[in-house]
Amino acid sequence: MAISYIHLFILSFVSISRFLEISKAGAESELVADLLTLQSQSESGVIHLDDRTVSKFITSTKTPRPYSLLIFFDAILLHDKSDLRLPVLVHDFALVASSFIANHNGSNTKLFFCDLEFRESQSSFKLFDVNALPNIYLVGPDAESLKDDTEQMEQSGFTRLTESLVEFIESRTQLTVGPIHHPPIISKKQMVLIIGFLLIWSPFAARKIVAGETMFHNPRIWLSGAIFVYFFSVSGAMHIIIRKMPMFLMDREDPNKLIFFYRGTGIQLGLEGFMVGFLYTIVGLLLAVVTHVLVYVKDLKTKRIGMLFSIFVSFWAVKQVIFLDNWKTGYAIHGFWPSRWN
Amino acid sequence: MAAPEASTAAVPTLYTNNTLRNAFGGVLSFFILLLIGVLAFSIRLFSVIKYESVIHEFDPYFNYRVTQFLTKKGIYEFWNWFDDRTWYPLGRVIGGTVYPGLTLTAGTIWWLLNSLNIPLSVETVCVFTAPIFSAFASWATYLLTKEVKGAGAGLTSAVLLAMVPSYISRSVAGSYDNEAVAIFALIFTFYLYLKTLNTGSLFYATLNSLAYFYMVCSWGGYTFIINLIPMHVLLCIVTGRYSSRLYIAYAPLVVLGTLLAALVPVVGFNAVMTSEHFASFLVFIIIHVVAFVYYIKGILSPKMFKVAVTLVVTVGLAVCCAVIAVLIALVASSPTKGWSGRSLSLLDPTYASKYIPIIASVSEHQPPTWPSYFMDINVLAFLVPAGIIACFLPLSDASSFVVLYIATSVYFSGVMVRLMLVLAPAACITSGIALSEAFDVLTGSIKFQLPGVTSNAEVDAGETSSDTSEAQTDEVHSVWAAAEAYSAPSIVLTTRSRDGLHVFDDFREAYAWLSHNTDVNDKVASWWDYGYQTTAMANRTVIVDNNTWNNTHIATVGTAMSSPERAAWEIFHSLDVKYVLVVFGGLIGYPSDDINKFLWMVRIGGGVFPHIKEPDYLRDGQYRIDSQATPTMLNCLMYKLSYYRFVETDGKAYDRVRRTEIGKKYFKLTHFEEVFTTHHWMVRIYKLKPLKNRIRGKAKKSKSKTSSTSSSKRSGTKKKNPWQ
Repeated sequence: MAISYIHLFILSFVSISRFLEISKAGAESELVADLLTLQSQSESGVIHLDDRTVSKFITSTKTPRPYSLLIFFDAILLHDKSDLRLPVLVHDFALVASSFIANHNGSNTKLFFCDLEFRESQSSFKLFDVNALPNIYLVGPDAESLKDDTEQMEQSGFTRLTESLVEFIESRTQLTVGPIHHPPIISKKQMVLIIGFLLIWSPFAARKIVAGETMFHNPRIWLSGAIFVYFFSVSGAMHIIIRKMPMFLMDREDPNKLIFFYRGTGIQLGLEGFMVGFLYTIVGLLLAVVTHVLVYVKDLKTKRIGMLFSIFVSFWAVKQVIFLDNWKTGYAIHGFWPSRWN
Repeated sequence: MAAPEASTAAVPTLYTNNTLRNAFGGVLSFFILLLIGVLAFSIRLFSVIKYESVIHEFDPYFNYRVTQFLTKKGIYEFWNWFDDRTWYPLGRVIGGTVYPGLTLTAGTIWWLLNSLNIPLSVETVCVFTAPIFSAFASWATYLLTKEVKGAGAGLTSAVLLAMVPSYISRSVAGSYDNEAVAIFALIFTFYLYLKTLNTGSLFYATLNSLAYFYMVCSWGGYTFIINLIPMHVLLCIVTGRYSSRLYIAYAPLVVLGTLLAALVPVVGFNAVMTSEHFASFLVFIIIHVVAFVYYIKGILSPKMFKVAVTLVVTVGLAVCCAVIAVLIALVASSPTKGWSGRSLSLLDPTYASKYIPIIASVSEHQPPTWPSYFMDINVLAFLVPAGIIACFLPLSDASSFVVLYIATSVYFSGVMVRLMLVLAPAACITSGIALSEAFDVLTGSIKFQLPGVTSNAEVDAGETSSDTSEAQTDEVHSVWAAAEAYSAPSIVLTTRSRDGLHVFDDFREAYAWLSHNTDVNDKVASWWDYGYQTTAMANRTVIVDNNTWNNTHIATVGTAMSSPERAAWEIFHSLDVKYVLVVFGGLIGYPSDDINKFLWMVRIGGGVFPHIKEPDYLRDGQYRIDSQATPTMLNCLMYKLSYYRFVETDGKAYDRVRRTEIGKKYFKLTHFEEVFTTHHWMVRIYKLKPLKNRIRGKAKKSKSKTSSTSSSKRSGTKKKNPWQ
């Protein structure tokens, strides 16, 4: 009998432990299913967590969890602080999330993208010991203590979030993210509208072009366009746009003073560029006026004044640019004359 | 334009002896052009005079090596060349991945000279290819501008192009790179396009396609041509300038040009599949529709035509829309998903900085600031607006092309500083036109006033002299730029100190040592910057080179350099590496050495192999090699190979680049041995110790540390290693 008791005991132990295993697996799969539902409810696939869900999915589950969570710490309060660039980062994070989900056809259950908002989930912020933004943490399957076992993304990564986030995910989780799907510049609706507009407009345009009545037939428009493009480019406006340079700087030592010219070749300020662009352009325009207009003026006095004015302004402009260039770059251009000329 | 007409009317006597005058002008022009050629060639020789006849930088060494191969083995071998001396053990298909134009050109020049019994070395030919082609480019500029505004403007433009700093920077003697021939090809293609446009001759149209083919062979920048010409054609159509000449200039170029472009292996089917080329096909369709409309117009009476226009316009538009839809679909499904990253960043300048950090990080792709324009095109920057205005008075097909060329290229140069090179010819052409018109008008007015010189003429003379002084400023600047800024070959370095000129020729010393003292099949590992030079000058197999196509491979070398000695030895050994070459500038203060590039080795290595972590090498966010450096830093291979025995030089081990004493001064190498260090310590070469040392070290772990130095001495007497 004793043997049968032992048997029974072993049997019941095995069955209980199996039941526990099954129920644990059941609980885990339930959690994953919950996460998947939450993911599908969000437009970008980023799950919005709060204190309750943090406890449900992270702190009160047993390790190892069948999933990792990548958490972006957000604070709506700070969205208007331009130096933190939080809205941009939120957008980039969502972009990586949606690309990741799309690349895995929604069948991914290993990694979920989440965000936490400061006001709603202050205690979770404390759990992670986050007191500076922006911040991204990866909660791995084995992480128990949110302070010590989680991995934080380096601050240097936030300048190019999409790329460094992909690198971060791929190196830490061994999952591939795949190509990032940037949203097209024009949405489909806009595209349809534009095509529709073009279709309606094209017969009228073609008519006008055949008749030669458009503004494109006016050379003056082309002329001013070309000169403007020239002015725009030589003034380094593209540099200003791409680098988002300010028009001028405040002097740190004297707040009432403004700095218009920046010393050093790599950087230029907005107004500085436009001023030099103006100097570049004005000489050519004056030369054109002299060549094509002034020589045909009948009145001798006007002619002389015009000529002297152009010579003076041209000399001044060229001298200014040479001076500014030497000042800014530090180059000293010299001729290679025989030494006795010096 | 009014000025020439007025002068024709005023002095009819000048034109009585027209033929003689033209002949004289022709001969004079010829000699002036000859002198311009000499000027273009000689202004680029500063590097040869100041240093010697040597190939510059890094990429030209690769081109040089390819040319050597071509001259030795012939064109078919070259076409099928699989190079097993780089990217060991992967190798690289050279024939299919290079633009062959430059190589074929230099190879042909060499072959021609040799068949004329002029025995020049391949290197000499390569060194002087760029200056020779600059002379050609100035002549091509003359031809182009002559088509637009006559011979006078042509000569002025040619002389400006001969010495425009932007072009000099890419074509000094020794700078043997694609741009050297490509700029000539670019200008010549544009010239032939305008010539065809002015004459309507099919002969020139065919030549134009051939010139385009040469451009495609030479440089990836050919896409600029295949977009600019369609833009001009479209502009002509829109502004009502369609003519049969335009059709002849364009249609053969698209058909023949695309067929020929597809023959170049590196372009291949890209010529019809990537969206950079789609603009030309779209315009090709439009020009046919327009040609059809004009044909109908010709055969119908005006009344009938009005009726027909409605019909043709509707049918034509329907066809156009269908084709455009197909094209858009093609663009969307093309391999690059529309435009390539670089092209896109030209259209939307902020694109690269947002989405493609690799493109945005390259210094050549930065948007320039205003001093760049002054440095690169100098006073031409002042003259261009006058030239643009001159092109509009009157506006012809050819001059509208010049306006379009300058407007697009100046915009592109504003986005990427590299494209300043494409702007330079356009700036020279427009400035040449401006200067020539100014001279024409102003000197003309002096001439008419000569009988009784008035003050008016004096003012004119003042203006003329101010023009001349601008031209002189340009010359001084260009000569200075050619002599000082752009002539350093970077393989030989010089510094001037109080005791005179110092020459640092360590690179060539090291490569020569490698080629004389190592086996021809030995593999040499170094950071990728020195890959091209090692294969070309030392003729040894390298692991990675400047054609950075395989990131993992580069990361492997980066990881080895950032690992401790033993781990590095294992990585290098697995790649069959026998020698490791490092560049060290600490002794003489050469700043672009490997320690300064080390952060990239760590980053790139860590990107692929996560056990390399950047923070391990940083103290307070900085790379340091002094006493504050991290242990990982002080134990990594790069530190050890750079600073091994460095303390023996001055007793303090003071690094002149980092301006500090190094952290760990006395250490020994266990898995590497120093085999060669150059005169100024700029290049140091180490040999991997053979395998048995490691086995011995494993067997006698306790002794290995103390006996590691003596074991290398003993190893010579023992049995030969079976792995060697």
